[in-house]
Amino acid sequence: MKRRLLLVLALLLLLAVPASAADGIPGDADGDGVLASGEYASAVLAYLDAAYMGGVGDLDRTDIQDAAWVYARWDGKPREVVDSSGRTVTLYRPLRRVVTFSGESLETLRSLGFDMEKVVAVDKYSHEKSTFFPECRDKANVGSIWSPDMEKVLSVRPDAIFLYATISTAACDDIQKRLEASSPGIRVLRFDCFKPATYPGEIRTMASMIGREERGNEFASFYESTMDQIRETTAGIPDGEKTRVYFEYWFDYTTVSAGSGYNEKTGLAGGMNPFAVGTAEYPVVDPEAILVADPQVVVKLAGQGLAVGGYAGHDPEALDAIRSTLLERPGWSRISAVKDGRVYVIHSDILGGAQHFIGTAYLAKWFYPDRFADLDPHAVHQRYLTEFQGIDFDLASQGTFVYP
Amino acid sequence: MIGLPANRLFCLLLLSLFIPAVVCGAPVTRTLSTAEPGAGEVVTVSLSIDGVALGGVVETLPAGYAFAGTDHPDDRALVRGQKIGFAVMNDTRITYSVTAPASGSGDITGTWEDFLGESDGEIAPSHVAVDGIETKPENSGEKPAAQEAASPFAVLAAVAALLIAGWGGRR
Repeated sequence: MKRRLLLVLALLLLLAVPASAADGIPGDADGDGVLASGEYASAVLAYLDAAYMGGVGDLDRTDIQDAAWVYARWDGKPREVVDSSGRTVTLYRPLRRVVTFSGESLETLRSLGFDMEKVVAVDKYSHEKSTFFPECRDKANVGSIWSPDMEKVLSVRPDAIFLYATISTAACDDIQKRLEASSPGIRVLRFDCFKPATYPGEIRTMASMIGREERGNEFASFYESTMDQIRETTAGIPDGEKTRVYFEYWFDYTTVSAGSGYNEKTGLAGGMNPFAVGTAEYPVVDPEAILVADPQVVVKLAGQGLAVGGYAGHDPEALDAIRSTLLERPGWSRISAVKDGRVYVIHSDILGGAQHFIGTAYLAKWFYPDRFADLDPHAVHQRYLTEFQGIDFDLASQGTFVYP
Repeated sequence: MIGLPANRLFCLLLLSLFIPAVVCGAPVTRTLSTAEPGAGEVVTVSLSIDGVALGGVVETLPAGYAFAGTDHPDDRALVRGQKIGFAVMNDTRITYSVTAPASGSGDITGTWEDFLGESDGEIAPSHVAVDGIETKPENSGEKPAAQEAASPFAVLAAVAALLIAGWGGRR
């Protein structure tokens, strides 16, 4: 039985990667790493001769399409990219069979107008998000970074795999090692696509990989216009005047601390988190300490397990119920945020991943309604979905992302 | 099926089979300086290319007709027997010359590929006949089905089908 399994795996490995994925640019006859105009023309004629004119040749249709792509989009040269793990990856051909283990990278590829037909398999979470990624419903499901289905990965014969760069590094390193050992031609690309500090750069790098630089600049500018407005507006607020915020994670009385992405976004929006100090990213706090801190704004994160709201459904009552339980907590009627009606619920769909700029805009607006009077997070969100994600999703009647 | 008599539906189906899709909005079209050259006369063939930045075109000449030259750069054209291949590199027009035989008729057929757009298709055939005199084709083995569909018989059949469809609808 074990022997048979090994045999199947060995066969899958043989089939796994198109042999030429890392063999240089097709048509580069002199092998100098550059596809010159003359070389490209010769390659085209050799292809036409073999395909239509009764001649013989090595280049097939995919080869010549890749050669044309590299000639047109990369000026006939290989594209070297430095991914967010700091590795330099050399691309000799466009990405044709992509597997994503990161929903954020998948979403960013879609923002950039990547042909989603070329994504052949996705992680299980993206697979489950059928409202947001309807085109992934029928794609292969390769599991998660913690429990990858390597057999499935190899069976879809990928030429590129997207993994996270700086989170879950041990699991991602392990997947990368296994892939590189078994199929050296697979290009492993590591990006986070959820961190404000690195996202604009990642957008542009990924755009250059897929030959969509103009779209990349357009999308990065859209992203930066929101984030820069938030940064610039909050930059001048003295620490002593910053809004005190208690940010509660999915779990009751669990907050966010320095090192967590949610704390970073709270800070970017000008919030002062009294529980930011500490080593744990998501520390449990003493309920009494919250009363003592007397936050001016309370933000509760919703969306654990995709159960409530977000893209999964239009369910404001569910978010209202979450908010009501907060208001009923012992002693909370004395908190400034409760007295002033500044307790909000936000869904992780718009704060934790590639859409963090939408959630951060809501935070900024909640923390400083006067300073951000002209910021319209709802409009930013709708434009993102319609213009960049290209999905038919009307926020007026679909989904629930914030409450009230 | 409301409002569509069976015979009309059949004719429309017939039409869809006979009219090649490439005729409308094809990125590569061909024009000839003359479709009825004299014996030994040179025919200028112009290929008009729209929306194919990087691609390829292969033309097939009827038996007896000979390739006589092109304005396309030498390193982007290839001739093998009755077939001529062109590498399209941001070209909007390719012109080549064909010398007519002493007698003979047939279709110039062609195929195009758009490598960046990852699409391909047939160029509508162009019929040539020396002095306008039709001769029986000696060799039709190379003719793909799509090109056969656009033969004069097919066009006649399509027109007939249209007429019948119109007649059937008025009954």
